[in-house]
Formats: sequence, C-alpha cells, structure tokens
Amino acid sequence: MPEPVIVPRNLTARAAYRVPGNPATSRPDDAVGNCFPGLELDVRNLDRRFFPGLVFDFVARDDIYAAYDQPQRYGARLSFVDVTNDPDLGLPGTLAGNLSDQLQGDVGTALSTGEWYIDWIEQDGHRLAMSSTDGHGVQQPLDGLYVWRIVRGLEPLRRGKVDTTEHPVTDHTVTLGLRCRSAGRETDAVTVVGWRRRFTDADTGVISLAYQPGELLQSLCSPWQHDFRDCGCHYWAANHPDVVTGELLPGEPTLPDDASADPMLANTPLDWLRADRSREMAGAMGGNVTINRPFQFDHYQINHAWQQLDVVVEGREIGHSYAPPDSVPGAPYDTREELITVVRDQLVGTELTLALEYLYARSSIVDPATVDIAAHPTLADDALFVRHYLLLTATSEMLHVRFANQVLWELTELGEPKGPPFIPVLTPSPTVPAPNRGGGRRPAELRPLTFAALDDFILIEHPSAALDHSWGRVVATLERHSYPAHLVQMAERVARDGNDHYSRFKEIQSVLRSTYGDTDPQPWLRPLRPATPLEAADALAQFHVILDRLRDAYDRQSQGHYAASGPNVLAARTAMDQLLASSEALAAQGLGVPYWTTG
Amino acid sequence: MSITFLADPTVRRPPPGTPDLMLFESGLGHHAFLPDGSRIYDLDAATAAALADSVRTGGDALRAALLPFATGHGPFIDDTALEPPPLRSLSLNVAQTCNLACTYCYASGGDFGAPAATMPWHVAERAVHMLVDGAQPGERVHLAFLGGEPLIGRDLIRRTVLLAREHGAARGIHTTFSITTNATLVTDDDVAFFAAYGFAVTVSIDGVGETNDALRPFKRGGGSYARIIDRVAPLLARQRDISVSARVTVTPRNLDLVDTLRGLLDAGFTSVGFSPMLSSPTGTDQLAAGDLELVLEQMVACGRMFEEAVIAGRPCGFANEADALLQIHRGVHRPYPCGAGAGYLSVSASGDLAACHRFVEDPTGHMGDLEHGPDQTRRATFLDERHVHRQEPCSSCWARYLCGGGCHHEVINRGRPACDYIRGWLQHCLGAYVRIMTRQPSYFSNPTP
Repeated sequence: MPEPVIVPRNLTARAAYRVPGNPATSRPDDAVGNCFPGLELDVRNLDRRFFPGLVFDFVARDDIYAAYDQPQRYGARLSFVDVTNDPDLGLPGTLAGNLSDQLQGDVGTALSTGEWYIDWIEQDGHRLAMSSTDGHGVQQPLDGLYVWRIVRGLEPLRRGKVDTTEHPVTDHTVTLGLRCRSAGRETDAVTVVGWRRRFTDADTGVISLAYQPGELLQSLCSPWQHDFRDCGCHYWAANHPDVVTGELLPGEPTLPDDASADPMLANTPLDWLRADRSREMAGAMGGNVTINRPFQFDHYQINHAWQQLDVVVEGREIGHSYAPPDSVPGAPYDTREELITVVRDQLVGTELTLALEYLYARSSIVDPATVDIAAHPTLADDALFVRHYLLLTATSEMLHVRFANQVLWELTELGEPKGPPFIPVLTPSPTVPAPNRGGGRRPAELRPLTFAALDDFILIEHPSAALDHSWGRVVATLERHSYPAHLVQMAERVARDGNDHYSRFKEIQSVLRSTYGDTDPQPWLRPLRPATPLEAADALAQFHVILDRLRDAYDRQSQGHYAASGPNVLAARTAMDQLLASSEALAAQGLGVPYWTTG
Repeated sequence: MSITFLADPTVRRPPPGTPDLMLFESGLGHHAFLPDGSRIYDLDAATAAALADSVRTGGDALRAALLPFATGHGPFIDDTALEPPPLRSLSLNVAQTCNLACTYCYASGGDFGAPAATMPWHVAERAVHMLVDGAQPGERVHLAFLGGEPLIGRDLIRRTVLLAREHGAARGIHTTFSITTNATLVTDDDVAFFAAYGFAVTVSIDGVGETNDALRPFKRGGGSYARIIDRVAPLLARQRDISVSARVTVTPRNLDLVDTLRGLLDAGFTSVGFSPMLSSPTGTDQLAAGDLELVLEQMVACGRMFEEAVIAGRPCGFANEADALLQIHRGVHRPYPCGAGAGYLSVSASGDLAACHRFVEDPTGHMGDLEHGPDQTRRATFLDERHVHRQEPCSSCWARYLCGGGCHHEVINRGRPACDYIRGWLQHCLGAYVRIMTRQPSYFSNPTP
C-alpha cells in the first residue's frame, strides 16, 4: 500500500504534528557548518527570563572598552512582570505559590511602575551586589554584561524540590533584591524569593514554554540581508552555509542519493557567497576567508541579489525544486532470521574489513611533509587529500559497524521466536564482495593504494554493487515489518553512505590519473609491506584494545546501559588515535599494520 | 471570474465517522476532522477510503495512519470541570421591561415573567466594583447592557459606564462595553456616547419590513421596522467608532434568511448574525424539527454567498460563518458552549446573579447575589454538571467540542432538538473552511467582519 498522504490543515492540526526530526543517525558533523560558530539561538535570551515571572534586559555599554558614562542605565533592568504566561509559576508547591502570590500582590504592583534593576542576588548563602566601588569610593552599578555573567553562574533549582514544602538553601533557591532607579523613588526596594529557571525540560530537552515564539532568536542577524554577509560575532545565524556543492542541472546523471555522478561536481567545495554564480567560474573555494572574500557578494550585492543565494539541502545547492531521493531499492529478506543471519555473518564483518583495508591503504600514501615538491608540485596537496578521504571513509565504515551491531541487538529483542542472545560482532570478514571476480567475492587484502586496489574499492562501493544492494534489502525488510523507525534510518544511512564512498574514490582516481597517469613508480605511494606481529606489537595491542572496548560497549548498550558504556567508547576512541599515530610511525619505516593474517 | 460550487452532498447525510473522527468532502478533496483538538487533515483518496473502511469495520487502519499526528500528550480535553475562574464579563439587565412585544421573547416581553423592574443605582455600582476589583492590573473586563430594552435605563447605563471607566483606570484595568438593543429608542446623543466609549452595539431585528414587523411589534401596536431603520442610521454612519451588528432571531415566520441577509446588508449593516429560536417561554414561534431543515438550507445558501464574496476578495457580513471559520481555523475546542457561569455572569435588576442573561429570574441558573458575591459552590456545580462529557448524546458526537453541548438554557428547557442542524451547519463550515483556505488563504490573516 502506498504511503498515506495526510496533511495537517488548520492551526491545531499543524501544531499537533510531531515533526519527525533528524534521523537517529544524525551526528554533530551533519549540521549546517560555517566558519563561525553559528547560532541556532542567542543564549542571552534564555537568561532574560532566568527568574520565573520576571523578564530582564541586560543593559550594557556597546563593548567593554566603551566609556562608562551612563551608569544609571547599566545592569539587569526589569523589562516587565509576566505572571500570566509563565508556566513555572503554576508549578505545584509553596515556593512557586508564594512567588506567584508575591508577583500578583504588592510586589507586582510596586514593580508595575518605575525603572527597576536587580540590586543583589543571593543563592546558597552567598549574596552578590550588582554594583562595585569606583575610584572615588562611590558605589556604581555593574555593566549589564557583568550582571549577565553572574546570572549565568546561578544554579537551577534542584530537581524535584519545587513541590516540597521545605526549601533549605541547598536547593539553590534564589533571592533577588530589586531597587527602583526612577527619580525620587531610589529608596524603593523589594525582595522576591524564587529560583533559577530550568531552561529545558530535563527529560525531553524541550525549551521552556515561558519563551514566546521568536524570542530566542530576536537578536540574531536577519538571513539574506545586509549584515548576513559577513557578520561573525554573537549574531551569526546557523542557517548560513559557507561551503556547498553545486546545483545539479535537470537531466544530469546522478547517483541513487541524488548526488552528481560526476565526482568533480559532487566533491568540489564551492563558496556559497560567490559573486559569479556561473558554473564555468565555479572553481573550488580557497581555504580561508581572506582568500575567498574578493570573490564574494558585497553588501550592496546581497541586498539586491539575495535571491540568487540558493537554499542548501544535504550540502548541495538547490536551484530548482527539491525532491528527496527515492528510497533505497532492494527486495526484502523472507524472515527475520534470514535478516539477522545476513547482517551478522556477512555485513558487519565486511564493514570492518573495509575499514581496515582503507586504513592500511592510507598508510601507503606518502607523508605530505616530506614529498619532493620540485618533482611533483601538487603531490603534497594530493597526498593530504587522498589520506583525508581514506580516513573519512574508514571512519564511516566503523560507524556502520556500530549501526549494524545495533540493528542486530534490537532485532534479537524484537519479535518471536527469540533467537540466541546478542553477541557483539567485531570480527573482520575473510572475503568481501567483488563483482569482477569469480564467485563475486575476493579475499580480504591489506594493500597499498595502487590503481588496482582503488578499482576494487570503487567496485565494492558502486551504487549497484552487492554490498550496497544487501543494505537496500535490509532497509526493505525492516520497513516491511514495521520495525522501529531508527533501525530503518540506520540501515538507510549505511546504504546511502556507500554512494559517498564511491564518489570519493572516483575523485581520488580522477585526481591521481589526471595528474600522474601511469608513472612508475607511482609517486603518491611509499614502500609498504605488512609488518610482523612483533614489529607491530604496539599497534596490534592498540587494535585489540579498540575491539575489546567496543565489544564491551556494544554489550552494555544492548542492555540499555548507554551511560555505562561511555568509558569504553572513550577508551576505544583514545586507542584509535594511538593506533593512527603508531601506524604512521610504522609506515615511515615501510611497515603496515598486519590487522589479520591470511593462510 | 465566476465560481461554480460543487455539490455539497454530504451536508444532508450523516458523514461516516466515529466520535473521534469525521470524514468529509470539500469539493476539493477528502478530509478528516478530529474532535480532539478540532484538527483538520487533508487526505488522499486511498487514505480516505481506508479510513472510511476502518470506521465501518472498526479496524485499526485509523490508528496506524494517524499515528504520526498524535499529539504526544493526552487528549486536549479531559473530564476535569473548569474551576470557577475570575469574572471577566458581567451583563447588567438594566431595564427588565420593554417597549416591544416580540412574540417569542425569552424575557417574556422584557420582565422575565416577573414584575417589570429597572435596576437601581446601588446595584449597578456594586456590580462595577465586583467586576473591576476582581481583576488584576493590566487585565480587561467587559460590561454588557441588556434588558428588556436597556435604553429604557439610559441614565443608569451612562452613569455605570463612567464609574467603570474611572474606577478601572484607577486600578489599571481596561474596560469595554456592549449593548443589545431593539434600537427604537436610540438617540443621536446615544450614538455619540457609544462612539466615545467604544461600544459594540447589537441591534435586534428580524427581517426587512413586514417580516420584522410581524415578529417585533410595539406593545402599543404597529411594526418597529421603519422606526429601527430611522434610529439606526446615525449608528451605521459611525461604524468606524462603533461596532454595529444585526442579530436576527429565526422563527418559522422569517425563514427566508438569504433575503434577510441581503436586505440587512443593503440597509447598511456590516455584520448580520442569525440565532434560531429553539425555546421560547410560551412555545410561540419556536422552530420545529422540520423547520430546522429549512433553516439549514438557508444558512448554507447564505454561506455560499459569503464564500463567493470572500474568495473574490470582497467583505461579506455573514457573522455566523465568519465566526465559525475563524474558530475552525484556530481549532477552537472547548467543553462548554459559552462562558456562562464561568467568566461570565448576569446581574438582574434586583442584584441577583445568574449564570447568564437567559437565566435571570430562573432558579436553575442562580449564582448568588451582589451582596454576598458569586456563589462559588453553585458555579462549581454548574460547571461540573454542564461539562460536555457529562452530556448525552454529546459524548458520541464528533461536533461536541465545536458546539460545547449547546446553549445551557435551551438544553435545560427543551433538550437538544437541533443537533442535526448544528452538525449539518458545522459540516458545511468545515468544507467552506477548506475551500477558502485553498483559494483565498489571506482571508485568515485578515478576516472580516
């Protein structure tokens, strides 16, 4: 049956729609990236409502070097009292009740007129004055920025204590002294007892409903306008991409994930702000702002031609209309047992084998720091590029090992009959798919990155190759039996990543072929042979730490103990860094890490 | 450009549905209405068919298909009754007497079946204090003047408005005012006063010419139409400052609603609303079940006039549909039909409090008196008993949170004779909402009237 089409129409229907959100496979590196720390929100806006029922503005000088010439304006100024819309005031218990009563009673009435500022803040027995003594011994209000920093240091109320009747100071109750600065009312002061709001729900991460729509973004720069061009301070909105790949024109060949089939187009990083938008002029962007700046839109241009800046989806500019890629093709396996068997006995091991083959091949690439630039002017850059792509791809394969294990442990738990219990799979497969070989498989092989090896890598990652195809079938099986969405997302991610890998290897091939042809010896390679176990003792020990720690981590995670698996994951990552360093040291002596022995 | 309306065949036939789902057509496609949160979804044909099928067979397709649209929390409305909230609105029955003798009057000629009375000053004064003192600075309260014919108590109204404005200003409380009048006593000076204080004025008028006159004669004899039109002219001339609307009570003797709507819009009203007379004290001129089918037909015909105008970008003052569309757009869902007994109470001439103006002098809706303040126990009991989950057959009706269970006064006195009418009307409005939302979506960012 086709997907039902159900579209929310009126406001409550739209509001109630549970946005699917990012798939479970999203990682920090999937976010919109730009060279400044882009902001989804301005965190200062959270602190404006740090105290339930009161909304402050932090009034400060333009910057900390500006003259301190309007002290009476500086500090945390009460913007307004918000009793009706603040959900925290409706919390059960006497603390919230008393605060609500105070703000709806005499205190609220007093605060409703005049200019009020925070005079002091007290928490856990410590009281801080929001003023300091100047050089003449006169008390002067602190600049709003300093007050803000103090407010940021407050502890939120200890969880679960709001509804008890006793509030010892250790619950982080906050007492505020407010003083009026209106002329003639300087002696007016009030004290309110409350707490530092929890900005997000501890269980769901949802931002407190005290914040009105738009409130958290109100000081960010406006997208697609003048200051969006090169604002690089607190106000840089995260929806400003720096590096993109170019738009696909209608009819151009694509891979199944809709990336260009031309590896140069698929992998050439373009400057999103480039002034000349033609494809002919779309050279790869430079490595820093200074290099790129002369070729970018200027302020007046972005004001007039903002509509030429494309929307970016999955890192690619979308000039016409966007349609998500089709779902991964593949016929489902017949049973859950068959699915488990394929993933456990073939797919996980293949991912691990490939990760190690790519790592080994990376060791064979010359050290960019020591190449002969006179003989090959671009070799240092090319070596850097090839090493980087191989490491990215090996890392991606390790991520697949993790996803495949999770698919296994969840499948073990779901459905009847229960099979044997989950055992983490971290054993390399002795053979991998090879469409060009007899029987469709080849033995696992630790090789330098020769053209022959590269051809094998391209073949195995080819969109129509057996490996990708198998993951397509996993997706289809999981979808057909309505397994949890995140399992489908993991399998889809593995299947789609194959396209990225394919595209990267094609680009490596294109660069090496066009630059060096069949030069012999191939200048990007250094001599490499598998080390003996003794020669590579350190590296192998590190490798086994990785496997042992990951095995332990998967085991714990399969039982739902994610937090407890943290130290294991951390130890595995540390060992990965160490392994990378030791394998580099071995490679400098012409030795590769013998991850496995054959025979 | 002319608009051709597709047939609205489902209006007269109960649509497929369960208490938790109603499927309807708009002429543009298939749709589902979920009472929980008054949510509307567009469906493709296959999904609509599957859902209709699951409704018939009690299957599970509904739950599965709508799963992504679950709200992530419990139902929008549960069994909990509203606790009596602070008062936001009071109506003052300043004159329980009238110069007209409308045949069906719920106040039985203005006096609610009791001796005619006008409200003494101390009652109005106390009412203003109760309302204003119960509000917080920055809040808004509303005073409505009703009767009988409230303008018989003109001096009291003016004094009351001045006091409320002055006392409200002292406490930082915004006061707004409205009056429902037969307009026969409106003077130029009244118009200036209404404008100065931003009144909303509702004029009771039941049709054009003789139609109105047959239903709304003077007590001394003779029709009121010519007099209304004469007195209402200066009011209509100041609609920038005064919100004026016509309220038509629909009886078996003025069923040509399309004609009435056109006539009153031509007469200069920018907002015209119809209220079916379901329960009059004597039974005179109340609508029977057969009449309601005609009323529905007429209402839908008015609705098509409205829709045609709105899609063409012209205003149309058919208040019933304008209000319904706005509520549907916002997904209004409520366990009560109105604020009676909750944020709204009515004050009788003698200072008794009633759940609303229709319960004046009726012990069922007695809610205390000004001297002792609102009777919180009776308010709480009323709100508990009147919750739509406690009403039958409401719990099995898809329209329960749009309708709220129907006018308390009418239900208590006559039951629920108009449910099919209400559902038919809402079904029409749901379809109209989808059509207007599709063809003139800007209407919902700046609706009229």
